[in-house]
Amino acid sequence: MRRAAIIGAIIKKDLVEFSRDRLYVMLSVFGLAMFILVFWVLPGTVDETIDVGVHAPGMEAVLGALEQEQGEGLGFVGFDSAEELRAAVEGEGEPRVSMGVVFPEGFVEAVAGGRTATVTLLVDAAVPAETRTALSAYVREIAFAAAGRDLPVTQPAQETVILGEDRAGDQTPLRERVRPLLVIFILLVESFALASLVGSEIQQRTVTALLVTPARTGDVLAAKTVTGTALAFTEAVIMLLAVRALGAHIGGLLVTVLLGAVLATAVGMIAGSAGRDFMGTLFIGMIFMLALAVPAFSLMFPGVASVWVKVIPSYGIVQAIHTLSSEGGGWADVAPHLLMALGWCAALFAVGLVVLKRRVEAL
Amino acid sequence: MSGAGGRTSGDGGCLSGNDEGANAVGPGPVIQVEDLSYAYGDRVAVDGISFEVARGEILGFLGPNGAGKSTTIKMLTGQLTPKAGRAAILGMDVRGDNAAVQAHIGVCFEEKNLYPNMSAKENLVFFSRLFGIKRFNPLPLLERVGLAERAKDRAKDFSKGMKQRLMIARALVNEPSVLFLDEPTDGLDPVSSQAIREVIEEEARRGAAVLLTTHDMLEADALSDRVAFINEGRIAALDTPENLKLQHGRRAVRIRTREYTGDREYAGDRGSTGVREDGGVREEVIGLDEAGAGERIKAAVASEGLMTIHTEEATLEAIFIKLTGRGLEG
Repeated sequence: MRRAAIIGAIIKKDLVEFSRDRLYVMLSVFGLAMFILVFWVLPGTVDETIDVGVHAPGMEAVLGALEQEQGEGLGFVGFDSAEELRAAVEGEGEPRVSMGVVFPEGFVEAVAGGRTATVTLLVDAAVPAETRTALSAYVREIAFAAAGRDLPVTQPAQETVILGEDRAGDQTPLRERVRPLLVIFILLVESFALASLVGSEIQQRTVTALLVTPARTGDVLAAKTVTGTALAFTEAVIMLLAVRALGAHIGGLLVTVLLGAVLATAVGMIAGSAGRDFMGTLFIGMIFMLALAVPAFSLMFPGVASVWVKVIPSYGIVQAIHTLSSEGGGWADVAPHLLMALGWCAALFAVGLVVLKRRVEAL
Repeated sequence: MSGAGGRTSGDGGCLSGNDEGANAVGPGPVIQVEDLSYAYGDRVAVDGISFEVARGEILGFLGPNGAGKSTTIKMLTGQLTPKAGRAAILGMDVRGDNAAVQAHIGVCFEEKNLYPNMSAKENLVFFSRLFGIKRFNPLPLLERVGLAERAKDRAKDFSKGMKQRLMIARALVNEPSVLFLDEPTDGLDPVSSQAIREVIEEEARRGAAVLLTTHDMLEADALSDRVAFINEGRIAALDTPENLKLQHGRRAVRIRTREYTGDREYAGDRGSTGVREDGGVREEVIGLDEAGAGERIKAAVASEGLMTIHTEEATLEAIFIKLTGRGLEG
């Protein structure tokens, strides 16, 4: 009872200090508002259709055939002149297309007569090489179709086997993929605020004033844990509410962000204890922030990170948030991720407690 | 109440039944230290010191930086665990339940470790909660240190002197039986220093045992019932300022006359007597322990050119230097 009263008094004091420090308040409020804004500004849908502009004089029949191909990832748009099509590919004309095919006058007659005809492909610089190659092969097919012939090979039978979940037509938009990153960021911002609270308590030696009263080191550690975890958890939950994610799986997401908040508290304790001054705390906090954000970045840009990303402490939390909020997953899907996150939380929290305890006792 | 903050003791707290903190002290010394030692690695900071402080007594703990003063206070306040020896506060070993000991002590640190974003009032109320005091009125305590008008102002806006007075008030929140004051007037203006000295004397009158570390020899002399000289982790001397001066200092009389009229045979010829002539004014210092000192003083007093007579006492600083061979600022 007495210990609870002491811990409660320290928590109340920490919250007063937190609420009166402009830096902490600015980091928390401004950070939260900015991250929510970023989320809603990002595109919420993925357009999987590649629009191809076509200028094909005297080839109305071919164009009609092409239009029937639409819906399989390609959209064909007819242009009256090669110049208009070029402007559209360059982004200066409407409608905007990323690639264009310009058939010359008399193309059909030429290919039917066995003469060479030059088809011009207009490709935006951002179009990947494999898409350009695919378009080139497609033009070859059109030439044979225009000439009324089949390709001079026997078409092989094709069977497509989708490994993993087939997301064709249901790609995760950038807005969804950025969500774990924003949650990780807001948790780490709060960890920095806690680090500053811990750091100033040590650097101003107010903690020594606490420890010559009936308050014990364990009381101080418990109070910092509760304060840091509560602040980080609250901010993360507000974030999930603001980005309309919490409803996807409320139980799983609350457990996940609670683990994330404990992780952030541990990081805050380590950074606050290890930094010799404000700049030292900031530096150590930034290192942790960058390292822990890597799994979230790798989710945004698949393929940029290797398998080692899985050993970063925040990996399980990032995967759990993504699976629950964007892929409709449940407890069974995220259980391995949560267990991994729990292990990391326990390890880092133990390190944070030891580092903080040693620093306090060394004063 | 002795003018400290009004309060009600908390649940099961060690302050229960202790309306006047210092009154909880029974007979015998409040602080007992026997052969206490501490070392930081291979460096011995405190080397087998022993002393006692009684109820209502102010013990001045004097020594240069690094002498072992702060380490001793850290052991007595539970911040460090002694490597050897024994120390007890109110009969409770400081190695044992520190919380029980710490409920009865007040500590004023040298560094101004207040919570800067909290007001004077909030700083005191917060610490009262740590002592389990449920209803605490900080205003009487703030009034006592002259900060009642600034009760709602944040500590970060206070001057150095005001912060120090708030530190003193914080140390008194639990009406402690033992006060540890580390350089409480260091660097303060005379007005703030005097205000703090008055509070220290009031606390001693209330019955608190006070352990005071300071570099200010005049302050130590004026405030302390006894002083301990600590040097290189050991106590070099421990007694009342008066006894130390009697034992180790030199008592003398300084006499200034317009023209010399005494017996020239003692002027400047003895090592213990100084004679200086400057523009017709003669000044001589006669040690009271010297042979024939009384006769020489009588002769000087009877002379027509007598201008002034001053008695001279040894200072604590001079005695410290004599005993340890080093100054206090080192």
